[in-house]
Order: sequence, then C-alpha cells, then structure tokens
Amino acid sequence: MKILQVYRSEPNDNVKTLVGILNRDRDADEFSLNVESPDYDTLVAKIFAADKTVCWW
Amino acid sequence: MAADPNKLGIFVTSPQNMRHVIGIADAAEKAGKTPMIFFTYKSVHLTKDARFKALADKCGEENIAICADSYTCEGYDSAADIPAGLSGKQMRTQAFHGALLDECGKYIVL
Amino acid sequence: MESLKVYILIANRMYNDGVRSGLGLAVENHYAYPVIMNGEFPSFSTYMSENIAWVKDMEGQVYSCGAPAPDSCVDEEGDKLIDEISLEELGEAMRDADFIIPYGLSKQTNEPPPACAE
Repeated sequence: MKILQVYRSEPNDNVKTLVGILNRDRDADEFSLNVESPDYDTLVAKIFAADKTVCWW
Repeated sequence: MAADPNKLGIFVTSPQNMRHVIGIADAAEKAGKTPMIFFTYKSVHLTKDARFKALADKCGEENIAICADSYTCEGYDSAADIPAGLSGKQMRTQAFHGALLDECGKYIVL
Repeated sequence: MESLKVYILIANRMYNDGVRSGLGLAVENHYAYPVIMNGEFPSFSTYMSENIAWVKDMEGQVYSCGAPAPDSCVDEEGDKLIDEISLEELGEAMRDADFIIPYGLSKQTNEPPPACAE
C-alpha cells in the first residue's frame, strides 16, 4: 500500500499522530502545498503513483 | 462500474484553495488525466472567483458541479444566479460527491 | 456498487456541515464516519441532531475525538447519539478507510467573538 500525505498547512500534533499511525508499515510519501509555488505536476504524479492520498488542512 | 484509473476526483470543501484547485486540474490535464470536481459548503464562494469559468469550461458539464443547497445556504440565488461556466444541470446534491468517489481512481480533498 | 468507508474530519466549529456531507454519502450506500475533533461541536438544532441520528441509522457513526460526547445530542431514549473515540483509535480505524476527508479549515487559534459564538 502506497500512501501519500499532502499538507495544506503546517501539520499540528493531532495530524502528526494520525499520519504516524496511517503510515505504519506502509510505503509513505508526502507533499507540501504550503509553499509559494507548489509543483503541481509532481503532486499529480505522486497522487497517481499512490494507492491513497490524504490531503490535510 | 469500476473507477476510472485516469480520473482524478477533487472534492473542494475550503474557500481558500482556488490556486491549488486550478493548479492540480491543469497538471492532471497535462498528464493526460481527467479532473472531476465538486465544490461544497463554503467553497461555493470560489464560483465568484474570476478564474472559475475557465475551470468549468475546461472540465465540461459532466465533470464539474457545485452543491446547490450550499450555494443557497451561503446566500446566493441558485435559480437566478447560476455561476458563470455552469448550467442548471451542474447545480447538484451531495450525490455528485458519491458519484465522484465511485468514478475516480484517484482523489484529493482541497 | 461497492460501499466505501469514508471518514470526514471536522476540526473547525464552522465546518460541521461535514455531517451533512457524510449523510449524503450514507444515502448513496456508503459508510460515513464524521468525526468532530476537540469539541468543535455545532449547536444541536433539530436538523443537526436528526442528521446525526440518520447517519447512525445508515450504519455509519458520528464520533467525538478529543472531547466528551455532548449530553445535548441524544436519541428518543436519552442515549448519546455521538460516540467517543481516542486519537489513536481513530488512526487505527482510518487505516481501513477508503477515503479520509479533512473537511473545510483547521481549528482557529482564537476563541470566536460574541458576534458568531452561538
């Protein structure tokens, strides 16, 4: 299972805890949208490479 | 019907991510994928963004819709003020989100 | 059509519409689990309470994570309609989810002013 964690803002402690549990024993990747110019091409490639994407607040 | 592996569902629930919605939809199209987008609750304010019509035109009638109830709840007129780029058929219910989950092989929330 | 397990995480008091969104999926034969985080509860209008009950009737469940489930949202027998779930339990449960939806916006830093607190 490949899981992609996407962050729209800096993750808080709750999000970090949930991500830790969701990523356990899985092939995990991440992407931050919380930058001036996100590379959307890379994000879309990561989404299609993953089985599941979670996009946090 | 199995989900289309080349279709990307975008569920928009926040009113502050228009640049991400457009950026991801454009990148998906460039990669040969089909974006399918549903705007709900306070994200319906994004229909008033000057970039919304081009996004709607790009997606086409079957692949973009908004929650009509949300639009009304936010004070807009869902009969007399259909957003630019949409038709009355694209003023939908949460069932469109259900269809998006069923149809799209990939999915992101914004 | 396969029934999907969908968790809708509500972290901001203004976004309890996630319960309605979950109900919309429930009536489409999916399993909806709206989770109200850290006590960001709505005011329990008849409409909201009925929606929470309806989610439960449709084999889903509304949860409270990080705060006690309120006494003000109960069924006709007086039992709480909202179940409590810990953050760790939520994480484990969501490992089996088909979709996880962090809904709307994150929690606000400041307490709401009187103009919009109720």
